[in-house]
Amino acid sequence: MTGSPIDPQDPLADAFSRALRPVSPWADAWRRLRRNRMALAGLAVIGLYALFTLAAPLLPIHPYAEQVVAHENLPPSLRPAGELMLAARTAYLLRFRAAEGRLEFNAEERQELADMARAIRTDPVHRRHYWLGTDNLGRDMMSRLLFGGRISILIGLVGTVTSMFLGVLLGSIAGYAGGTLDNLIMRFVDILYGLPYMLLVIIMMALFGRNILNLFVAVALISWLTLCRVVRGQVISLKHAEFVEAARAMGASPARIIFRHLTPNTLGVIVVFSTLMVPQFIMTESFLSFLGLGVSAPLASWGSLVAEGAGVMSIYPWQLLGPAVAMTVFLFAMNFLGDGLRDALDPQSRRRG
Amino acid sequence: MLRFMIRRALSLIPTVFLIITFAFVIIRIAPGGPFASEKQLPPEILANIEKRYHLDESLPRQYVRYLGDFVRGDLGPSFRYKDFTVGELIADALPPSMLIGSLALLIAVTGGIGAGVLSALRQNSWIDYAAMSLAVIGISIPVFVTGPVLKLFLALKHPWLPTSGWLGGRGGWLVLVMPVLTLALPYLAGIARLTRASVLEVLRADYIRTARAKGLSERVVVLRHVLKGALLPVLSYLGPAFAGIITGTVVVETIFAVPGMGRLSVQAAINRDYTLIMGDVIVFSVILVAANFVVDLCYGFLDPRISYS
Repeated sequence: MTGSPIDPQDPLADAFSRALRPVSPWADAWRRLRRNRMALAGLAVIGLYALFTLAAPLLPIHPYAEQVVAHENLPPSLRPAGELMLAARTAYLLRFRAAEGRLEFNAEERQELADMARAIRTDPVHRRHYWLGTDNLGRDMMSRLLFGGRISILIGLVGTVTSMFLGVLLGSIAGYAGGTLDNLIMRFVDILYGLPYMLLVIIMMALFGRNILNLFVAVALISWLTLCRVVRGQVISLKHAEFVEAARAMGASPARIIFRHLTPNTLGVIVVFSTLMVPQFIMTESFLSFLGLGVSAPLASWGSLVAEGAGVMSIYPWQLLGPAVAMTVFLFAMNFLGDGLRDALDPQSRRRG
Repeated sequence: MLRFMIRRALSLIPTVFLIITFAFVIIRIAPGGPFASEKQLPPEILANIEKRYHLDESLPRQYVRYLGDFVRGDLGPSFRYKDFTVGELIADALPPSMLIGSLALLIAVTGGIGAGVLSALRQNSWIDYAAMSLAVIGISIPVFVTGPVLKLFLALKHPWLPTSGWLGGRGGWLVLVMPVLTLALPYLAGIARLTRASVLEVLRADYIRTARAKGLSERVVVLRHVLKGALLPVLSYLGPAFAGIITGTVVVETIFAVPGMGRLSVQAAINRDYTLIMGDVIVFSVILVAANFVVDLCYGFLDPRISYS
């Protein structure tokens, strides 16, 4: 290879080409994302959630459906359940005693407390810890939160996968083909957009029965609309680009042009939109569960936990606040990550980075 | 312009028609009818009931009959609330929902645009950071979390506001505060973020520099030039926001026991009250379609580049 203007042995030229080393758009985006603290924090939080909910069956927590009736409505605490139980019962009896104007427990009450104390010493079940308290059936809130998170996050993933599959497929076909096909697909999307979606989902869940599969179908049904529109727009703006002309000139089939050349170029938008839509899917599911049309007991999701907690919030506020905080933090993290990704991947915002 | 409006309005008819068809099909193919859940009825009585509601006819005939009644403005009798027609039930339930929805939208739009413009004009100040942090919180917290939490702190822990109910009760107009706030919050936050981003972009535009160079006061620049250009993205957000508020009312009405369309619809779906479900779907769709139509028209007034010829 003689005649190359740059001699690779020349240290100066080497430093020059290293400084101008081509950076792939993805590496470039990652570099910008790394500088965004909030987005990184969001990513870390999502990672933790994923880890804990995925590993939930392996963690040393009590089964989410197991009811220990003696442990109902215990507050969050680091102390073992037996102690809390005894303390709650003693407090109750003390109030009772004060109401009757007595200064001491009567024999019956003393006997009851002594029996309870003995049971606590002998039965290992009372040595359990409930860091986040229990619900009205004596189920471990932490376990319910983790297993509920599995359902909620799974819904988010299902929505994302369908929207990627259908939305990208139909969007790029409509954008590339144009004409009648484009019109047909986009009118269909418009009509689905015009439907009062939530109402239809409520109807579907009420009529076809509430089970996870129907829930997935309901979320998947409209998940792809936004992405379809966005991808179509991107493809239309790209389809007259020179690299597409070049591919066509080389005899590439439309399918190859769409999936090898156009779709990869819309990947940035796809990633951003998918991240920002995960919270939407999770909210849809929770929304249905909140209305009593989502997952059915003993299965839980964040929405159903919030709904159960809302019913008793004035007496046992932790049953509402636990799931509410868990859910909000996750949605928070998703939104921050989505915003960060948009800033990192959107070429228009590059000058800001 | 007028011709465009008429053409656009006419193109909404097939959409509404499709929505009706869709709802009709989905409801009729669902397993179990409105009378299946009750205790076992003798077959003769069941046949009688089905005859009364024309459920014994073939599906196409039922469909044609429904469309015919619909065009005449008759939505049929309710299957569950036997003394009421669907029209009467909806006429009772619509005003509370409209009131809450429109108040929420009003607060979301005025508050959101105000906060967004302020944040953009004072970019990177503490006002900006505070407003935008609050906005992310507002977007992230679902309505059904805000509702109960507000209720817990504002009505149960402190007896400042009535917990639930409707106008005419003891709480007076205060019953409106929590439902409207709960409903408005996510859209207020969304509009604030959108406004901020688009005002920042417009502020860099050449025509703003020109306006300043002419010696216009900052007030006039912002109010007349910046806002006009910056409100376009906000306007296009209003369509989805409107749909979201309609959805949100379902939850808000459940939480705060408001006798509106949302509660009516959920009850209808659970009761399999065919005619009432259909009526709800149609009313919601027409509102939604009409809102999108208005948004489309407003676009033309704000953006001179769009022509409707």
